[in-house]
Amino acid sequence: MIEVKGLAHSFRVGKKGKETEVPVLKGLTLQAADGEIVSIVGRSGSGKSTLLHILAGFLQPDSGRVLVDGTDLTAMNEAQRAAYRLDHFGFVFQNFQLMPGLTAFENVELPLTLKGVPAAERRRKVEELLESTGLSDIRSHYPNELSGGQQQRVGIARALITEPPIIFADEPTGSLDSETEQDILLLIQSLNRTYGITFVIITHDDEVAAIADRTYRMHDGELAEGGLRHVI
Amino acid sequence: MSFKDQIAFVRQHIRRNRLRVFMTVLAATMGTAFLIVLASVGFGLHKTIKDEVLSNQMVTQVEVYSEELTDAKTDAMKKMDHVKAVVHRKQLAPTAFAELDGYTAGLNAYFTDFGEEATSGFKLAEGRFPEKPGEVVVGSGFAEQLIDEKATVKEGEELPTYKEALLGKTVTFKFEPLKEGAVSEEWPLKIVGIKEAPGKDWAFDGYLYMDDRLMPEMEKGLAAVSPEPEEGVEPDGFTYPQVNVYVDKLENVKSVTGALKDDGYSVYSVSEEIEQLDVFFLALKAGLVFVGTIAILIASIGIFNTMTMAVTERTREIGVMKALGAGPKLIQRLFIMESAWIGIVGTVIAVLISYGVSMVANAVLPVIVTAALGEDGADLGVTFSVIPWQLVLIASAISLGVAMISGWRPARKATKTDVIGALRHEL
Ligand SMILES: Nc1ncnc2c1ncn2[C@@H]1O[C@H](COP(=O)(O)OP(=O)(O)OP(=O)(O)O)[C@@H](O)[C@H]1O
Ligand SMILES: [Mg+2]
Repeated sequence: MIEVKGLAHSFRVGKKGKETEVPVLKGLTLQAADGEIVSIVGRSGSGKSTLLHILAGFLQPDSGRVLVDGTDLTAMNEAQRAAYRLDHFGFVFQNFQLMPGLTAFENVELPLTLKGVPAAERRRKVEELLESTGLSDIRSHYPNELSGGQQQRVGIARALITEPPIIFADEPTGSLDSETEQDILLLIQSLNRTYGITFVIITHDDEVAAIADRTYRMHDGELAEGGLRHVI
Repeated sequence: MSFKDQIAFVRQHIRRNRLRVFMTVLAATMGTAFLIVLASVGFGLHKTIKDEVLSNQMVTQVEVYSEELTDAKTDAMKKMDHVKAVVHRKQLAPTAFAELDGYTAGLNAYFTDFGEEATSGFKLAEGRFPEKPGEVVVGSGFAEQLIDEKATVKEGEELPTYKEALLGKTVTFKFEPLKEGAVSEEWPLKIVGIKEAPGKDWAFDGYLYMDDRLMPEMEKGLAAVSPEPEEGVEPDGFTYPQVNVYVDKLENVKSVTGALKDDGYSVYSVSEEIEQLDVFFLALKAGLVFVGTIAILIASIGIFNTMTMAVTERTREIGVMKALGAGPKLIQRLFIMESAWIGIVGTVIAVLISYGVSMVANAVLPVIVTAALGEDGADLGVTFSVIPWQLVLIASAISLGVAMISGWRPARKATKTDVIGALRHEL
C-alpha cells in the first residue's frame, strides 16, 4: 500500500546567484493498493520520473509525505531509505542499468549479496529464478553480450530476486521494439498475478497503460486518476 | 553485504583495472621500500657502533670515583643489590723495580683481591690465581718490560727484552731508595699466572698484579728507605684507588649506577654511553623515517588519482548499487578497501624487496669498500643495513595509513554520488 499526500517538489536551475525555481510537482496525491499495477502517464517533462524518484527514496521532496505500508519514507535519512529499498523495493529501468562487469547470473545475484544472504542460498535462489524466467541459457553472458529484451529480462529478474512487495519501473519497455515489449508486459502481468507484487510503472505508452489496474495522468505538476484513453 | 563478498567485489574491480592498479601498487611499493631501506641504514649504523662500544668494554662494569675510597666503602658496595663483585685495585704510587735474571723493569703494579677479580671475570691465559701473598699474576706484556740494561747495542737499536717463559719464575721486587745510602728490602714474587691479553691489538698490559695482603709490609719497606716526612706536609699516598663494580646483568646496570650516584660517587659505565648513543640514533632514525615518509606521500598522490578515477568511472555503477539499496557506509567501505588493498600489496612487496636490498647491500658494499680502501679495509665489521621488525611495523603503518587516507576522499565522493544523476550517466 503506497500513499502519497501533498507531494510538492521544485528544482533550482540556472547559474549560481541567478537561480530560478522550477516547480515540477505541485502537491499531488496518489494511492496504490497491494497487488495493483499502477501506471503513470504524461507528457515528456511533466515530472513522472521525478515522482518515481521520490517514491523510491532517491530524492527528498520539498514537502509532502510518502507512506509505504504506513512507514513515512520522507522522514528517513539516506542510509535508512537505502536499507528500506533493499528490503521492500525492486527496480526496473528504461536502460536496464545492469553492472557491466557482472554476468547475468551475478547481476541477478547482486541484491542478495548486498543483503548479506549466504552464497549457497543465493545460488539456489538465482538458479530457480533464472529457470522460471527462461534466462538459464544466458546466465554467464555479460550485459554487452545480450539483446535489449534479454537485458530487460535480467533487469526484471534482479528486481524480483529479493521478493519485494513493490516494483518500480520507469519506462521499462521504452528501449524495446513492440514485440519484445509485449513479452515483457506479459511477464510483468504474470508476476503480478502469481506473486501479488505491486507495480508502479511509468510510461507514455498505451500498451503499457492497458495492463494497469489504475492509471494516473500527470499534467502540469498535478496528478489525475484516469488513463490516457480518457484523455484521448 | 558480508565481508567475504566485499572482498570479492573489490577484487573484481581491481581485476578490471589491472594495469592502473599495478602502476599504483608499484608507486606505493617504491615509496615504502625507499622508507624501509633508508631507515635500515640508520639501524645498521646504530648496530655497528653499539657493537663496537660493547666489544671494547665490559658492559656490566661500572667505574667508581670518589675523593676517598676505602676498603670499608667498597665492602659496602659489595652488599648492594645486583652487585656481583667489587674489585678494588690499588695502584702502586712510588717508583719500584722488578728484577729477573739480570733483566730489570720499572714497575706498574696493582694490589688487588684475587677472589673478587676472579668473580668479576678476570681471565688467565696461563697458570692459576695466587693462593699466597708471595704469588703474583703478570700482564701479557710484562716480559717486554724486562730489559737488559747492561747489554751493549749499536746506536739506535733497542735493548734486548726478556724472551723466556715467565710462568713459575720468581721476580725480585724492590723500591727505589729515596734516602741517600739506603738499600731497599727485597721481596721475591713467584709468577703463578699470566693474564689474558686485552681484546684490542693496540692495548698493552704490562702490569704486575699482587695480592693486597702484601701491601702493609711493602708500605713499611718503603718508609724505611724514605726520608722522615716533614712536619705539616701531607705525605704522598702509597697507592691510588681504582674501583670497578661488576653488575650481575646488563638491565640492572642502571639501577646500580643510580644507587651509587645517590651515595655520592661519581660513576662511569658503558651503558650510560650507550644510552646517549641510543638517543642520538633514535633522532637519526626518526629523521630518516620522516624523509622516507615523503616518498610514501608522493606515492599517495598516485593512489588518490587512481581512486578518484575509479570513482568517476564507476559513477553509474555506484548509482545502481545505491538504487538497489547499498547504503553510503557500504559504498565508502568498498572504496577504502580498494585503496587499502593497494597499500597492503604495496607494503608486502616493499618489505620483501627491502629485505632483499638490505641483504645485497650488506654482502656487496663491504666488498666494494674493501676494494676501494685496499687491504686496510679488510673486515670492516660494518653492518650497512638492518631491518628490525619494529621498522617493518612502522613503515607498514605509515604506508597503510597513507593509502587509506588518500583513498578516503575519493570514497567520500563515491558516497555522495547522486543516484538520479548517476543512472542518467552514459558509459
Ligand atoms: N536535476 C534536475 N534539475 C533541474 N531540473 C530538473 C532536474 N530533473 C528534472 N528536472 C526538470 O523537471 C521536469 C520533470 O522532469 P522529469 O524527468 O520528471 O520528466 P518526465 O515526466 O520523466 O519526462 P520524460 O517522459 O521525458 O522522462 C523537467 O522539466 C526537467 O527539466
Ligand atoms: Mg522520465
